Amino acid sequence: MRNTRAPQGKRQFRRWLCQALLRAALVIALVTVAVFFLIRLVPGDPAVMVLGEHAAESSIEALRGRLGLNLPPSQQFLRFLQNVFLRGDTGESIKYGVSSRDLVLRFAPVTLLLAALVSVITLASAVLLSFLAATHRDGLFDQAIRVLPAFTQGMPVFWTGLLFIQLFAVKLRWFPAGGVKPGDPGMLYGLILPAVTVSFGQIPPLVRSLRERLLEVLDADFVTTLRAAKVPRRIILFRHVLRNAVAPTLMLFSVNLSYLIGGTLVVEQVFGVRGVGKLLFEAISNRDFPLVQAVALYCAVFIVIISFLSDLIVRRIDPRTRA
Amino acid sequence: MKRQKPARGAGRGKRTLYIGLAMMGALALAALLAPAICRYDPMEQHLELFLTPPCPAHPFGTDQLGRDMFSRVLYAARTDLIVMVLAEIVPFAVGVFLGMAAGYFGGRTEWIVALATDTFIAFPYYLLVAVVAFLTGAGMHGIFITFMLVGWLTYARVARGVTGSLRRSEWVESARLMGYSHLRIIATQIFPNVLPQAVVVLMTDMAGLLVLIVTLGYLGIGITPPAPDWGTMIAEGQYVIDSAWWLTVIPGLMVVYTGIGLSCLGDGLADLWR
Amino acid sequence: MKKRTVQKMILLLAALLFLAPAARAAEDGAFVFAREDSVTSFNLHTEITENNAFAIDKVFEPLVRFDEDGVVGDFLAESHEISEDGLVYTFVLRDGVRFSDGTPLTAEDVKFSLERHLEVGGPLPLEADVASIEAADARTVVITLNEAYTPFFSELANFSNGILPRDYGGRTEEEFFRSPVGTGPFAVSEWDPAGDLTFVKNEYYWREGAPDRLVYKVVDNDNQAISQLKAGEVDAVESLAYASAAEIERYAETGVIARGGWEIEELFFNTLDEHFADVHVRRALAMALNREALTRALTFGYGQAANTVLPAAIRYSTTDTVNALPFDLEAARAELALSAFPDGFATTISIASGNNVRMQEAQIVKAAGESIGIHIDINAQEIAAFRQDFRSLNYSMMINSAIADFPDADSIFAFQVDPEGFSQCYWTSYVNDEAVALMKAGQVTPDGEERARIYAALQQLLADEVPYVPLYCASRVVGVRDGVEGLTVLPNGSVDFCAPAGE
Repeated sequence: MRNTRAPQGKRQFRRWLCQALLRAALVIALVTVAVFFLIRLVPGDPAVMVLGEHAAESSIEALRGRLGLNLPPSQQFLRFLQNVFLRGDTGESIKYGVSSRDLVLRFAPVTLLLAALVSVITLASAVLLSFLAATHRDGLFDQAIRVLPAFTQGMPVFWTGLLFIQLFAVKLRWFPAGGVKPGDPGMLYGLILPAVTVSFGQIPPLVRSLRERLLEVLDADFVTTLRAAKVPRRIILFRHVLRNAVAPTLMLFSVNLSYLIGGTLVVEQVFGVRGVGKLLFEAISNRDFPLVQAVALYCAVFIVIISFLSDLIVRRIDPRTRA
Repeated sequence: MKRQKPARGAGRGKRTLYIGLAMMGALALAALLAPAICRYDPMEQHLELFLTPPCPAHPFGTDQLGRDMFSRVLYAARTDLIVMVLAEIVPFAVGVFLGMAAGYFGGRTEWIVALATDTFIAFPYYLLVAVVAFLTGAGMHGIFITFMLVGWLTYARVARGVTGSLRRSEWVESARLMGYSHLRIIATQIFPNVLPQAVVVLMTDMAGLLVLIVTLGYLGIGITPPAPDWGTMIAEGQYVIDSAWWLTVIPGLMVVYTGIGLSCLGDGLADLWR
Repeated sequence: MKKRTVQKMILLLAALLFLAPAARAAEDGAFVFAREDSVTSFNLHTEITENNAFAIDKVFEPLVRFDEDGVVGDFLAESHEISEDGLVYTFVLRDGVRFSDGTPLTAEDVKFSLERHLEVGGPLPLEADVASIEAADARTVVITLNEAYTPFFSELANFSNGILPRDYGGRTEEEFFRSPVGTGPFAVSEWDPAGDLTFVKNEYYWREGAPDRLVYKVVDNDNQAISQLKAGEVDAVESLAYASAAEIERYAETGVIARGGWEIEELFFNTLDEHFADVHVRRALAMALNREALTRALTFGYGQAANTVLPAAIRYSTTDTVNALPFDLEAARAELALSAFPDGFATTISIASGNNVRMQEAQIVKAAGESIGIHIDINAQEIAAFRQDFRSLNYSMMINSAIADFPDADSIFAFQVDPEGFSQCYWTSYVNDEAVALMKAGQVTPDGEERARIYAALQQLLADEVPYVPLYCASRVVGVRDGVEGLTVLPNGSVDFCAPAGE
């Protein structure tokens, strides 16, 4: 949900831009502070997670001291802020002993590639399917395409993933079973199966929304005029209809993409993909505070950028939002 | 922005609606009557019946502890459907309310609601899920709280959209001129328009929530066994998927079935109310 | 414009298909070993967890080591001698052993390593009261104790007593542990603390049969591990869940190596809990539990129902002779009637969530309790919270496992019997003076019949008092591709990649 009712003109655009940037900064700050205190509220001791549950109290205390976990929360927060502003880092990962920022940056390409693949698959199939449906309204295609989302929407990612691995990796051996990690030469290939799995849940709402919009636009007067002017059908569809139908769908897609950035965890877990989601999952269960913080910050920044860009694009391609 | 609908569309809408009603009705009935339908207690262990494939006595086979899968799948429908419905109540109400407020008043109210929305979207979803689950311990209350925190976003978006477009409509303008209070205008003019849209979204959202519930079960932070739950059942069976497929495939199909039912309901209602 | 997009898509697809073979052949020539967790540190004196221990022991080797049956014998030492009073240990080093940088191993290195361990302490400290460690000559090390301590010899077999070069071979400590040098079969080639690790063979290694390259690949999900093993993406998997192991065995191209280990699955009672302070309650629940059936259903034949807390693979275990409480519902009800809660009560069982086997065990315990009128709720906690709670004795009963660090009965009993140890009898807070006296006697009595008698008495006492119910002795199950040979699974779960000569 975004404020898209920005007024016209350059001056107004600048005002919109300022507001958007201000809000982005606020969102990032809110997320960061919330994560800092929330993760410390949760019971569990990072030192026990590093040394194991059978470790002696004395070695655990020693580690806690070294990590600065015995300081009062306010002081820890100050340290954290110092780290963020002076070094641009959220601190050393408790478990891995290396900069948590570097870890996130190293794992990010995998998740981003996954998200990109999902986006490509999702958008391509959504556009294709909704076009087929809208141009064959109430025909067989339309009927089939309206039923399809119902099937894929209710498929839990982990379940579909399990079945896919069993079928395509173990039985047919078309794809690797998983275990993609940063820098793999076959990274893209290894991510296809996970991406398809995730797309299953992402396509249905887009198809629904896009089909509705397409039908609306197809009924609009200007399309009838274009048709009367014998403009080729393909050009009408792609240049005129799509452009007018895409804005609301794009907003929906950007929200989906935002969920995806922080929500690749399950698919990464099932497919053993070593991406940011997995890093987050491990960091949470190890109570690796700096690493959790780093992942959260990365997600927040990305999501804010995505929503900013989608607002911008929508403003450009759909003049109505500026009216 | 009303589109002329061909007459047959409405007929098909009804048909979809009936299919959805029938599917969900059958499931709800089976869940309700589970104690009468099932021959076995879903928790009753027979360690000697370890991983029995589907057979006449156990149509869905048995699990590792020799429990009847048919009973477990049906009883799980009870748990999962109840949690699904209950967990939607608060987010639905809160989301619709906030969305209407933001759309109606605009300005600062809208800005604050939008900021809250953006913050929740920017918060890594599973971090929130995990933090809540770890704080409350595994189980249903964790699910309720998590969904209370994130579920309202969808409804707020829909309600705000609808309200925003109605704000300057003639009815609302005239109601305001007649001196009606904001509350009254919202209740009489806006809410009736928002509700159908929100209910349609509710149907698809419930399917999503069900997926979340079983995913939490899969991750080990959802409903706690021995209370049967489809997600936990899939998690328990995942290691023997090759030799005991029924442990993973059947509960998964139940989730898909429910998703289809809800989706048909949603589509049908949308067609009907357009 | 549209056509160009289509062309691009086709090109992309083609590129993907060409990349496909690369994905398979990425680790050509190396032995790829799937493990749950990455190696985060080689500092042998500050680490304890498996992910690090089983990498550290590939680089650093101790004076003595246990074999696959858990018998401790000479390793870097060629021979050893223990004085009659149990105070003086003399080790003669094997000739011709070199570190992976080529420098020969000397007694000074041993002195440096063990003294550093004594100084650091760490999570696996030397419990013996060491008076001095002397290098008598280049190949002879003499260790003197202040008090006799029988477990000392076994203790030395711990990975944390591995030998590193004196003064870190001239480097700083930090540098040294980033690219460690030891006498072990491997040296570190590439290492990502958050990911995979590649070892290369130590060209000076004194034993034969190590692979040229060994890759520790992080595969932290059991399902992934079996899929990758089946698909040939890894050569072996370090540890398999029992259900997966059965699956792997059934599959044509893969198999398993199982080894009964030093780990024991147990049901622990918090003896400070109002109900479980009562010995009759503990005994009743123990008798209501069908341990045989539980073991059969959950371990797929890889576990062995246990009668005592000392794993069968460790010397002095009386699992075959001890008089353990039998599964007998009548007797269980009768026992409960003797307690302060003859009509039953409600309690909870805590387990770490996300562990499928534990969850099933908890459900079986719940059903057992219910059969004699004890209502049990399952409290599945996220692992970190679970640990915090049980370590602060905030639980009623829990399922967890105990593991011996080295093959001496004391490794288990010091942890589970000594109320003054930090572990408070494995956080049961159980106090029994007789048991403590037996445990202490076991520490100073030399190996032999007398020590056997002491430990038999201790095990019988624990079987009667049941501060914890041993459920089963767990096995380590390593999954392998067919054709993989020369792996030896040691009872602590570590894998020796050097095929012993002549086998």
